[in-house]
Amino acid sequence: MLRPAPRRTRRVQRRQQTLAGYALLAPSMIGVLGFLLAPVLIVIVLSLFDWKLLSTPEFIGLANYRELLNDDDVWHSFLVTLYYVLICVPGTTILSLLLALLVNRKLRGMKYFRALLVIPWMATPVAMGLVWTWIFDPGRGALNQFLGLFGLDGPAWLSSPLLAMPSVAAVHIWQFAGYNMLFFLAGLQNIPASLREASSLDGASPVAHFFAVTLPLLRPTMLFVLITNVIGSFQAFDTIFVMTEGGPGDSTEVATYLIYDEAFRKFDFGYASTISVLLFAVILVVTISQFVYFERRTTYDFS
Amino acid sequence: MSHPLSRRTLLLGAAGLAGLTACGSSTDKTSSGGKTELVYRLWDEQQEVGYKAVFAAFTAENPDITVRMEVLPWDQYWTKLTTELAGGKAPDVFWLTVENFPDLAGKGVLAPLDDVIARAGIKLDSYHPNVVQSYKFEDKQLGLPKDLGVVGLLYNKSLVAKAGITMPSELTWAPDGSGNFLEIARKLTAGDKQWGFCSWNHSQTQWLNWIASNGGRAMDKPYGTFDFAGPKSVEALQWARDLIFKWRVSPDGTRTNPPTGQATEMFYRGEVAMFPANNALLPFALPEVKFPIGVAALPAGPSGRTVVINGLAEVMFARTKHPEEAGKLIAFLGSEKAQKLMGDAGYVIPALNDAGAGYAAYWKQKGIDVQPFIDSAAGSTVNMPIAEGWTAKVAEINKAMNDVYLDKTSVSGIAGTLDKIGNER
Repeated sequence: MLRPAPRRTRRVQRRQQTLAGYALLAPSMIGVLGFLLAPVLIVIVLSLFDWKLLSTPEFIGLANYRELLNDDDVWHSFLVTLYYVLICVPGTTILSLLLALLVNRKLRGMKYFRALLVIPWMATPVAMGLVWTWIFDPGRGALNQFLGLFGLDGPAWLSSPLLAMPSVAAVHIWQFAGYNMLFFLAGLQNIPASLREASSLDGASPVAHFFAVTLPLLRPTMLFVLITNVIGSFQAFDTIFVMTEGGPGDSTEVATYLIYDEAFRKFDFGYASTISVLLFAVILVVTISQFVYFERRTTYDFS
Repeated sequence: MSHPLSRRTLLLGAAGLAGLTACGSSTDKTSSGGKTELVYRLWDEQQEVGYKAVFAAFTAENPDITVRMEVLPWDQYWTKLTTELAGGKAPDVFWLTVENFPDLAGKGVLAPLDDVIARAGIKLDSYHPNVVQSYKFEDKQLGLPKDLGVVGLLYNKSLVAKAGITMPSELTWAPDGSGNFLEIARKLTAGDKQWGFCSWNHSQTQWLNWIASNGGRAMDKPYGTFDFAGPKSVEALQWARDLIFKWRVSPDGTRTNPPTGQATEMFYRGEVAMFPANNALLPFALPEVKFPIGVAALPAGPSGRTVVINGLAEVMFARTKHPEEAGKLIAFLGSEKAQKLMGDAGYVIPALNDAGAGYAAYWKQKGIDVQPFIDSAAGSTVNMPIAEGWTAKVAEINKAMNDVYLDKTSVSGIAGTLDKIGNER
């Protein structure tokens, strides 16, 4: 009896394995293709059309993009978005790192404390937005009532053009600091304890140790946290939608809100798609530059 | 959104699922055994209760047709409706406002009702002419008048009594601050915790009325030209601002400007004594307040009293699967029987002339005399302005108007911006 050539068997086996691999991937690939890639392509196509939802779509080439260039509202919304990102990303990163340092100690009940800090992230952003709207209420909100205890007359947080953005951003920071803390915590626990001993033998103060040893070794975590946070802040929508609807005036009208407004209030789907493509491009460029910047400075090897 | 990718995907998946189930539910609700179910869409959960009786009466007359109501919150109402209309699967019969009419009228999504009206023997001149006219497009009647939303002045009877004031039957205002309205507002203002009035950015109940009763107009005719910068309009807008910053009888825009402001809530809480409102607010206000509500007509200006009417209409989806049944429903909703059912239960002032007696009787029994609303509707009225591409423009105009209620840029400058937005082609 002849046995099949061993090489062929291996090839068949390999092909079977590949097929099995794809089969296992299929469910998530369908998700990625159907719910991420397809909409992205559709949006790019739609951005070339004049489509007011109830009118028939009409191909207009790059006219939407030309309109975009001269649209002050769009540029304003990107500046507002940038402002939001510039508050949220450093805020969230620093706060979560501090929290991670704080809870990275062996104390009784520490795990409950850690869990407590993650709860804001588990809650629905819309529900949290509502709760914070009540807290920020100028007349009866908890915050101004609290300030009132000290004889302070709290401002109208969400209806002041100056304060609305920091207030909304504060909620974002509050919401995601605990969650990002988890990554820093994991990062901290990956750093071998021997390094701490070594640096203290060399006479490094805790602060010096942090900046010279801990922080550089946290770079992989930092890369991840920064990138997901930048993307997340660029895409922030739900809390702003609930708390200020882009107002007062257009002081919190971030790009995502403008897109929503164009698409679902004004039903100008073509133009809304154009702004979406721009936002997509901006996030892509920012993310790639972050990767490039960190690539050169990151070590993954702690030994 | 932290781990944005995963949550986003989840959300998208959820939205997709919701979309699928939504498609399944609001379409093809058809005949099983000769029976038809019509879908009726509205946004007012108070009126939903009233409509149960109306539809019970309808099904009693038409045993083969039942009606299912879908109530959506205001914002979602328009988003969902418009996307559904575009997708070709919309509710059979739904509510429409004057402001949203222009964006749907020319798009072939609303069925002309002239045949329905003729077949049912309905006389259009027996409805309030303002509402009939509002839903006419190119000589076709696209909406059957449902009710009148009239603006009147609600006031907090406790605060008025405490200040020792008897509300005069006629209030007057003028841009220079003369007239008894301002006098009363000042008496009702106490420090910065209680205001006599609330001057805030709300077109229907506030600035459109000031402009009209000052002899100006926001727009010359439907689909016409905006004239916010006209001298009478600017004067009226300045007056709206003066009530806050000059006469100090109203909280300012930082507390009242939409979307974050809380003007209505301030009235509910008793922080504002006089508050102009559409009569449709009454069923919502009553459970919220701890004081008796009084009603007066809006103050008359230099050109007398002119109030905004925002009458709603019932419209029919042009591509409904059941045009005949939906037509019957529309005709029934326009009938005296249906309009009186809603009026007598205190929900609305029917658009049908002389059907409002029951409405007044209902509110009288609740201790509120709504006659000023009904009288105002019979007097001089003005419509909300409409223009081509209105939903986009009205959002911009309302946003720009916020500045009137903040003391930063000049009112004439703002008025110029408003005209520019409104008259843009």
